[in-house]
Amino acid sequence: MGRTLEEEERREPAKLLDERGLRELEEAWREPRAPRSWFTSTDHKTIGKRYVVTALVFFLLGGGEAALMRLQLMRPENDLLGPDLYNQVFTMHGSTMMFLFAVPVMEGIGLYLVPLMVGTRNVSFPRMNAFGYYMFLAGGLLLYGGFFFNTGPDAGWFAYVPLSGPEFSPGKRVDIWAQMISFTEIAALVGAVEIATTVFKQRAPGMSLNRIPLYVWALTVTSFMVLFAMPAVMLASSMLATDRMTHVSTHFFNPAEGGDAILWQHLFWFFGHPEVYIIFIPATGFVSAIIATFARRPVFGYTAMVLSLISVGFIGFGLWVHHMFATPLPQLGQSFFTGASMMIAVPNGIQIFCWIATLWGGKLNMKTPLYFALGFIAIFVLGGLSGIVLASVPLDLQVHDTYFVVAHFHYVLIGGAVFPLFGALYYWMPKWTGRMMAEGLGKLNFWLLFAGFNLTFFPMHKLGLVGMPRRVYTYLPGLGWDAMNMTATVGAGIMALGVIVFAVNFFWSRAAGSVAGANPWGADTLEWSIPSPPPDYAFAHIPVVQGRSALWERTEDEPVVVGLETKKRLVLATTIVDAAPSMRHETPGPSVWPFVLALAVSSFWVGIVYTPYALYYGAGLTALALFGWFWSDPKFEGLKAKRKKRPTDWRKTEDPETLPAEARG
Amino acid sequence: MSAQRTTLDVSGLPKHGFDAKTQLWWGNVWLLCIETTMFGLVVAAYFYFRQNFTTWPPPHSDSPPYLLEPVPRLLLPTINLAVIILSVLPMAWADAAARRLDRRTVKMALILVMLFGTAATVLRFYEFRSLVWSWDSNAYGSVSWAILALHLVHLIVGTLEDVFLATWVWLRPLDENHALDITVTAVYWYWVVGTWLVLYPVVYLSPRFM
Repeated sequence: MGRTLEEEERREPAKLLDERGLRELEEAWREPRAPRSWFTSTDHKTIGKRYVVTALVFFLLGGGEAALMRLQLMRPENDLLGPDLYNQVFTMHGSTMMFLFAVPVMEGIGLYLVPLMVGTRNVSFPRMNAFGYYMFLAGGLLLYGGFFFNTGPDAGWFAYVPLSGPEFSPGKRVDIWAQMISFTEIAALVGAVEIATTVFKQRAPGMSLNRIPLYVWALTVTSFMVLFAMPAVMLASSMLATDRMTHVSTHFFNPAEGGDAILWQHLFWFFGHPEVYIIFIPATGFVSAIIATFARRPVFGYTAMVLSLISVGFIGFGLWVHHMFATPLPQLGQSFFTGASMMIAVPNGIQIFCWIATLWGGKLNMKTPLYFALGFIAIFVLGGLSGIVLASVPLDLQVHDTYFVVAHFHYVLIGGAVFPLFGALYYWMPKWTGRMMAEGLGKLNFWLLFAGFNLTFFPMHKLGLVGMPRRVYTYLPGLGWDAMNMTATVGAGIMALGVIVFAVNFFWSRAAGSVAGANPWGADTLEWSIPSPPPDYAFAHIPVVQGRSALWERTEDEPVVVGLETKKRLVLATTIVDAAPSMRHETPGPSVWPFVLALAVSSFWVGIVYTPYALYYGAGLTALALFGWFWSDPKFEGLKAKRKKRPTDWRKTEDPETLPAEARG
Repeated sequence: MSAQRTTLDVSGLPKHGFDAKTQLWWGNVWLLCIETTMFGLVVAAYFYFRQNFTTWPPPHSDSPPYLLEPVPRLLLPTINLAVIILSVLPMAWADAAARRLDRRTVKMALILVMLFGTAATVLRFYEFRSLVWSWDSNAYGSVSWAILALHLVHLIVGTLEDVFLATWVWLRPLDENHALDITVTAVYWYWVVGTWLVLYPVVYLSPRFM
C-alpha cells in the first residue's frame, strides 16, 4: 500500500491545529454523557477513575471489617462476633484488600496515568479496557452479594485445602470466593496487557527506553509480573472449584485419591508472593514520582533504579516457598528460598538509597505527598527488617502463624503500598479533579494514619513473639496479651479517623479547593503539560520528548507532532526501543459490547456455582457477545453514529487510496 | 499556538501494518504468555502428582478393563495429532494471503482451517476415552483430563475465531484491519499447535516411561 512518489509530493505538509482542527479533535474524542457513558465509555481516564473510586469503596469496606476484628479482639473473651462470623469477616477483609482494593487501585491509577505519561491519547485496546473494569466490578459485587446473604467465604483469603475443600467447607461459600478470583484476575490480566502494550507501542516520539519515567517502568514491570503470576491463582481456584462441584468432583486436592494439599499452597503462593510485588512496585513508582517533584531534581541513579525494578520482578518469582516453611520441604528447597528471600532485599535497598540520595541534595518542598513518601520509607524499612526474620527458616518456624506475621505484612503492605497510595492521591488529585486538596487536612491525615498505624501494628510484633496465634476469634485473659490488644484497637480507631479526614478533604476539595492549573507542583512528567482535568483527547498535539525529565528538559522550540487527522480517534504508534514514529493507528470509540460481554461472562461464572447448565447457556451467550463485538464497526457506534446524518462520511473524506478496491466500490 | 513551532509531520506514515509493528500482535503475545504459564503449571502439577502414586497411571482394578498399568491408548490421539499438525498448512496459506489482501485465497484457506479445527475439536471429544481413567476417579485422571480439556478450549476458541473471520471475509470486504486479525489468529493457531507438540508426549507418552 505504499504511496507513489508523485502522491507523496502532492501531499501538503501538515500544519499545527487551528480552531477548527481543535474542535474536530474534541468532537472525535468526545465521550458520551452519563448515564450512557456508564455502559459505553472506552476512555482510559474515565475507566481509570472508575477503578480508583470502586477500589476505594472496597478499601472502606475492608477497613470496616478490620475495625470489626479489632473491636472483637479488644478484650479477652469478647462476644461481639461469633467464630463463624469472625471467620467470614477476616476472609472478607483479606480477599477485599488483596483482590478488590490493592491490585485494582494500583492498576486503575496506572491505566489513568500511563497513557498520559507516555504521551498518547488512549490505551491500546480501549474496549477491552472497559471490559476489564466491568469484570472487576462484577467480582466485587459477587463477593459482597455472597457475604450479605450469609454465604461469605470463611476459609481465609488463601483458602487452604483441605479446609476449603468439599469435605470441610460444604455449601457455596468457598465457591463464591473461587469465582471472585476468576473475575478479578481477568480484570488484572486485561489491565496488564493494556499497560504493557501501551508502553511498548504508544510512547511519544523521543521517549526511548532510557527516557521512560520511573513510574511507567514500575507499571511495566508490574504488568509482566501479572502476566506470569495471575494464571497460577486462576488455575488453582478453578481446580478447587471443580473439586468442589458435586457433578464434577475432580481430585486435585484430595489426598485419598492421590491429590495433594501442598500443591494448592505451591500454586497459590506462586501467585501470592509475586502479588505482594504487584502491589508494591507501582507504589515505588509513586514514591519515585513524588520524591523527584518535591526534592525538585531527577531521581538519583535512574539506571540503577530501573535495573532494581526489573530484578525485583524476576526475584519476586523465586520466593513463594518462604510462605510454606512450616510444611515438609527438602532442606535444599528451604535454603534456596531463604537465599532468594534475602537477595530481594538488595534491589529494594538500592531503591531506598537512591531515594535518600535524591532527598539529600534536594531543596525539599514539604507538601503532603512528600510526607507520605517519607512515612513510607520509615515504615517499609521496618517491615523489611521483620521480613529478614521470616525469611530465615528457624526463626520463621518460631513465629509462623502468629501475630508477628500479621505485623510484618501490614508493615510492608500498608507501609509499602497504602502510604504511597495516599501520597499519590494527594499528588495527582489536582490532575483528576482540577482542584488542590487542602494541605492542613492532608498533614493531619498523614499524622493520624502514621501514629495510628504504628500504634496498631507495632505491638503485634510482641504479641506474636509471646505466642498469640493468627486467625483466632478470641483469647483467654491472663496471657499477658490484653494491654497490647487494647492498644492495637485504639490505634485502629486513630487510623479510621485518618481515613475519615481524607474523605472529608476529598469531598471538600472537590467542591471548594483552590483551582490547580496544569502543573501545580512544577513536576516533570508529561501528564502535567495538559490542562487539569485533561480534555478527552488529552494532547492537542502529541509531544516530542527531549529528555528523561520531559518537562524540565523541554526547550523553547520543542517540536510537536502534526499530521494525525482530527476527525478520527488516531494515536501514534512508535517503535519499542527508540520510540520513533511508525504508524498512525485508529482506536475504537464508545461501545456497549464490553458491557454486554461482561454480563454474559458473569451470568456464566456465577451460574456455574449453582447449576451445570450454566456451562451451555454461558458459553453460548459469551460466544454471541464476542461475535457481536467483533462484527460491530466501532466507527459507527455510540453517540457519533447518532449525531452523524451521513454515516458514510468517513469513507469519502479520508484518503480513499488506503481502502481496498472492494471497500471503495 | 504560534505557527512557527517546530513540527514533526507524521501524515505520511502508514495506517496499517503487520506483526510487531502493531498493538494487536503484541496483545496476542501477552495472551500467549498468560496461557503458556497456565499450561506450564498444569504440566508441573501432572508430574507433582506422580510422586503420590506407586505406579503411574494407577492400576485399573475396580471395573473393566482390568489393567495393571492402564496407559492411555494411542491410535485416536495420534490421528488427531496429525490433523492438528497438518492444520498449520492452511493457516499459513491464509496468513500469507491475508498479507497480500488476496481475498479469494483467504476465503478458501479459512474454510480449510475451519474444517481442520472442527475435525480436531470433534476428535478431541472422542480422544478423552483413550484415557482409561475418568476425571473423577483419581488425581491422575483429573490432571490428564484437565490438560486435554484446557487444550480443547483453545482449539474451540481458535476454530471460532476462524469461523468469525471466514464469515467476515465472505460477507464483507477484506480490509487491512481484518487482514491483520487473520495473521494474528494464525500466530495464535501456531501456538495452539505448538503447545500440543509438548502436551501430547506428556499425556500419552510419558506414562509409558514413568
